[in-house]
Amino acid sequence: MNRKETLAIAENWFQEQNWQPFPFQKESWKAFLEGKHGLLNAPTGSGKTYALWFPIVLNYIRNHPDYKTKHKKGLKAIWITPLRALSQEIKQSAERITQDLGTQMTVGIRTGDTSAKERAKMRTNMPDLLITTPESLQLLLSSKGYAKTFKDCSAIVVDEWHELLGTKRGIQMELGLSRLKTVCKDMRIWGISATIGNLEQAREVLLGPTSAELGNSVLIKANLNKKITVKSIIPKEMETFPWRGHLGLHLLDQVVPIINNSKTTLLFTNTRSQCEIWFQKILEKYPEFAGEMAMHHGSINKETRLWVEQAIRNESLKAVVCTSSLDLGVDFAPVETVVQIGGPKGVARFLQRAGRSGHRPGKESVIYFLPTHAIELVEASAMQKAVLNSAVEDRIPYLNSFDVLIQYLTTLAVSDGFYPDEIYPEIKQTFCYQAISDEQWQWLLNFLVMGSQSLKSYDEYKKVEIEEDGKFKVNSRAVAMRHRFQIGTIVGDATISVRYQKGGYIGSIEEYFISKLSPGDVFTFAGRNLEFIRIKGMAAHVRNSKKRTNKVPSWMGGRLSFSAKMSELLRQELYTAELVFSKQSEEIQALQPMFIKQREESIVPQPHQFLIETFKTRDGYHHMFYPFEGRAIHEGMSSLLAYRISLLAPITCSLAFNDYGFELLSDREINIQEILDNNLFTPEYMLTDLQKSLNSNEMARRKFRDIAVISGMVFTGYPEKGIKMKHLQSSSELLFDVFRDFEDDNLLYQQAYTETFEHQLEEGRLRLALERIAQQDIVWKQCSQPTPLSFPIITDRLREKLSNEKLADRIKRMMAKLTK
Amino acid sequence: MTFGLNLQHPLRMIQKIKILNQEFQLHPLGGLFWEGKSLLLISDVHLGKVSHFRKFGAAVPRKAIHKNFLLLDKIVSDFDPFQICFLGDLFHSSINKEWELFENWVAKTPAEILLVAGNHDIIAPEKFEKLKVSIFPELIIDSFLLTHHPEERKGCFTFCGHVHPSIKLKGFGKERIKLPCFFKSKSQMILPAFGQFTGTHSLDPKDSDEVYAIVEDSVIKV
Repeated sequence: MNRKETLAIAENWFQEQNWQPFPFQKESWKAFLEGKHGLLNAPTGSGKTYALWFPIVLNYIRNHPDYKTKHKKGLKAIWITPLRALSQEIKQSAERITQDLGTQMTVGIRTGDTSAKERAKMRTNMPDLLITTPESLQLLLSSKGYAKTFKDCSAIVVDEWHELLGTKRGIQMELGLSRLKTVCKDMRIWGISATIGNLEQAREVLLGPTSAELGNSVLIKANLNKKITVKSIIPKEMETFPWRGHLGLHLLDQVVPIINNSKTTLLFTNTRSQCEIWFQKILEKYPEFAGEMAMHHGSINKETRLWVEQAIRNESLKAVVCTSSLDLGVDFAPVETVVQIGGPKGVARFLQRAGRSGHRPGKESVIYFLPTHAIELVEASAMQKAVLNSAVEDRIPYLNSFDVLIQYLTTLAVSDGFYPDEIYPEIKQTFCYQAISDEQWQWLLNFLVMGSQSLKSYDEYKKVEIEEDGKFKVNSRAVAMRHRFQIGTIVGDATISVRYQKGGYIGSIEEYFISKLSPGDVFTFAGRNLEFIRIKGMAAHVRNSKKRTNKVPSWMGGRLSFSAKMSELLRQELYTAELVFSKQSEEIQALQPMFIKQREESIVPQPHQFLIETFKTRDGYHHMFYPFEGRAIHEGMSSLLAYRISLLAPITCSLAFNDYGFELLSDREINIQEILDNNLFTPEYMLTDLQKSLNSNEMARRKFRDIAVISGMVFTGYPEKGIKMKHLQSSSELLFDVFRDFEDDNLLYQQAYTETFEHQLEEGRLRLALERIAQQDIVWKQCSQPTPLSFPIITDRLREKLSNEKLADRIKRMMAKLTK
Repeated sequence: MTFGLNLQHPLRMIQKIKILNQEFQLHPLGGLFWEGKSLLLISDVHLGKVSHFRKFGAAVPRKAIHKNFLLLDKIVSDFDPFQICFLGDLFHSSINKEWELFENWVAKTPAEILLVAGNHDIIAPEKFEKLKVSIFPELIIDSFLLTHHPEERKGCFTFCGHVHPSIKLKGFGKERIKLPCFFKSKSQMILPAFGQFTGTHSLDPKDSDEVYAIVEDSVIKV
């Protein structure tokens, strides 16, 4: 069968459905059948699954003309999805094709949810088409004889690649692909990505920067011009609208008409606790929504989530309050309207959420932006411009993440063992490890085998062993078992499941929250009021309660930073505060009362101005700085500045920051003139100063947590299994200190710092920000009370500390205060 | 407020306290010295923890092993005690090669060594007896009860460990700090963990409690 005849099968199928294939679908079919690799840029719900499932099946048909009568068993294609919730949907569309075209191909799912029985069955009898997650793919690589399983695999598709890029799961994917390229004789690699700033790089990372695959690849853009309308919800009474806060409940009444006027509305919140609270409050005030409203977030159990998703499709729900758990995949045609509560912190995310509405071709997407406090109105206005210019962020991929590499090499050692000479060239072809040196490679091998760089007689370190022929192999069943449990690079706080005493899983919660509860306490979770009874094993037992409560679990991770593009837009928007009223956007106009208040003692900064404010409250002396560069940059800049101030005189202060500026809070006044005279904002010696600042150590300590778990140095125990491994549990903090004191040249310890500077503090952007400040006029305002701009920052309770005073001096001072 | 600094130890500032008319010194490394008996109390050293982790494939830096022994040497030389009593959790887990280092340490240390067994001490008693280290479930000397787990017993003042106590301090400008400490209630003193590779558990003091925090080189009453 030639290519034309093969393609005709797909086109006929579309005709039978009365559909017309999009140009990008046809393009993908053709490229795939020509044997090309590629990246498909297409948004969710655009028919991207048909763009790639079709050629996979067609390719099989072409190579097996008697496909209708004879069936060749074995794995033929892998579809990787970052969210296992999406796998069902992907399976359905695959099955529709395999069945309608009369093949006997089977489709299977293998994720963390797959039962042990089913997994065992797959070991002997793989489905033809396998849908799985990056972690489960690694697990397959950790089973004996994996090379045979993958040998005839003709394609691997990485869905939602933009979600993986720039994460350690993405590196896991790069490594997995590097192995499959060798193991599979004839495999095409395809990625599917939503629009991001660096699409070309995304393709390079997927295929390998120097690979033959990249040379034989295409980038296909769906270019479905979809109209997106952004509308801000502007408070009717600006005077009573709060200066700070993150819930946005003040505008609840203005949301209700929006919900009423549309078939189904999704309300996106930024955190799970915010989601819980909104759900609760809407029902409290508008009980008529009961039964027509649901909640969806990552900690709620799977059945409930699936039920909600199905209910959206059935149009049986009027509104769903959700978090990023509904960002991806799953096509919800009936959704007409989306409301974003609070700043989404990124253009790409905002667009993605907007795209959840008006899925039907030709329909426009409508998204409402609901500000949670006054200054977020600026963000709302900036977001509209961002959408107009589709100013989408880049996803920056990691480099040299040795923790993931250690995990991967252990994985290979657990299955069939590996020969370094064979694996090293594969690894060097990946984007992440393109610059790895021979010395680093040797270091990693030593680390795997000896747990250090030299062998000492009394050491009993045991993990990977070198066999006589030079093969690196794990022979201990216990080590292998622990490693398999540990595979996966998403590291969260320790979570425990929440269950009814009589059984029935409700969801999972961070252990930190539960540890603060005493039996009898009532808290809100998954939309219910629950009374805490006790902790048993890895579960918290609860019962329903009628008591009202204000305890809502908080989940970390809701703190995202503005991208460079978004910060720039935000500044531009703020500058329009000085324009004639009629030339301002309605959001800026609405902020008029706040600007007037701000100008009483201070200013609203203009492009050539850098604003500093100082004032005193009963908390201490507040020193406010407003670079408007995004949270991450402010974190670094505040740490840098505090360190430099501490060189002038011993100081103890706490740091707070948000997307607009940062604060140094101290018990003594800091002389701002001295900061300016000594040019403390200079970009010179920035990196060395940052390294010396105490805060970067604290940040590295936190980064090290994930690194220690991923590289297998800290064992987290068996989640949900309740198997106690207490004698092997230690905190990564302890471990970090031990490395600092005894082995500070350890590559994994150093990686914690690299990640801090490159990914968290974004030193490149920080330098640009300092250079910009150097060009500005500094305006220092001494105020008698907090200004509107300062308010959201000074009330932030999550603070960083910095001190270079002697500990003993600090304690004495604290005690002096205690006894006052 | 007095800190009761001992000027005879210029580098390490030791806190002196009196309990039931007996003199005790609190050492910043976490040991407690009973002057009248020349007895040094040390709790929760967790020897062998680093090796134990390494044996199970967690690459804790090996150099950390020696630190515990160096610190033990240091505190012993500061007091030159007649007896040393470990209040439990001397070894973290089953026997490993760190035992040999412990054997060496016992051999070169002139003091008599006692062990009040803790929940982690699962190494066979004969092993200790071979080194002339005597093991007790608990000890009562005069009116003082020495035990691993905290316990308030009538007529006794208890010295114990197990908890790895620490204290959180708050200051002006939202300062916060966590320090390991000696935690004394009316009839009990919980010693901090001596071991290097161990965590702490923060306690909330009542008004009647006394807390002696370890601040770098000194012990300070807070």
